[in-house]
Amino acid sequence: MDKAELDREFSDLYRAHLRDVYSYSYYRVGNHHDAEDLTEQTFLQAYRHFERAVAESNGRPLRPWLIRIAHNLAANLYRDRARRPQTPIEDTTTLSAVHTTEDLVEGRDELSRILEGIDDLPDDRREALIMRFALGMDNREIARAMGRSDGATKVLIHRAIKQLEEIVNTRQAGRR
Amino acid sequence: MSEHAGDNFEDIIRRALAPVEPPEDLAQRMETTLWSLTELAADELEGWELSSMRDPRNWVRPVAAVAVGTAAGVGLVLLGWRRQHRRQRNVRGAAVEVRRIVRR
Repeated sequence: MDKAELDREFSDLYRAHLRDVYSYSYYRVGNHHDAEDLTEQTFLQAYRHFERAVAESNGRPLRPWLIRIAHNLAANLYRDRARRPQTPIEDTTTLSAVHTTEDLVEGRDELSRILEGIDDLPDDRREALIMRFALGMDNREIARAMGRSDGATKVLIHRAIKQLEEIVNTRQAGRR
Repeated sequence: MSEHAGDNFEDIIRRALAPVEPPEDLAQRMETTLWSLTELAADELEGWELSSMRDPRNWVRPVAAVAVGTAAGVGLVLLGWRRQHRRQRNVRGAAVEVRRIVRR
């Protein structure tokens, strides 16, 4: 594959997955400013290693590879800054920026409780849920992005949903 | 627990974790960056990270690299300027952040 063809393929990859990478980044770092930086760095890193990734993918989708790059960069961001997200994803401003008016009117409290619960999950469970629900990735894709087996990923997602439900129910019971 | 009768829990999670559309200016910036990158020789990119653009002292290398292709150079320099301008406009603590990155 020559450089022009590689560049065209990368351009297609970028267009197809900009929203995925941005969504992942946003839910991972919790604010738009860092999400923009993370998205830019993810695609730059991807561009540098694209030829090798294509060669090693054997025709499999490259979205898990992209998300894994974003995951690693986000981990570095936290390590560098030694902090958690500056803006929790349950923040009111953030919520209204992401969700439709209809969503907010119908279930703002409920969505807030879910996002609070997600923020309290262990990192791997939170990430798996972001990939499943924000990006619509299937178990196999999530497994590749997280470097786990398909079976382990299925269990991880199942436990993440159960734990989240317990967190949300416990909090709701405590407020009654 | 649901306030949405009939919803199962996974539907509620899906609604809470709605996909987030990237800002339009990010998409435009990325297009510019990628266009510039495709004009660069691959070996000029080795070791170059966007994060290093935060330090103006690091602009010498990419700017020198793109000097070979004038059009690409203009795009990249503009990108660096836009990034710097955006940060100064949007983040009050930009000066603090720059000092911190320079000290690394």
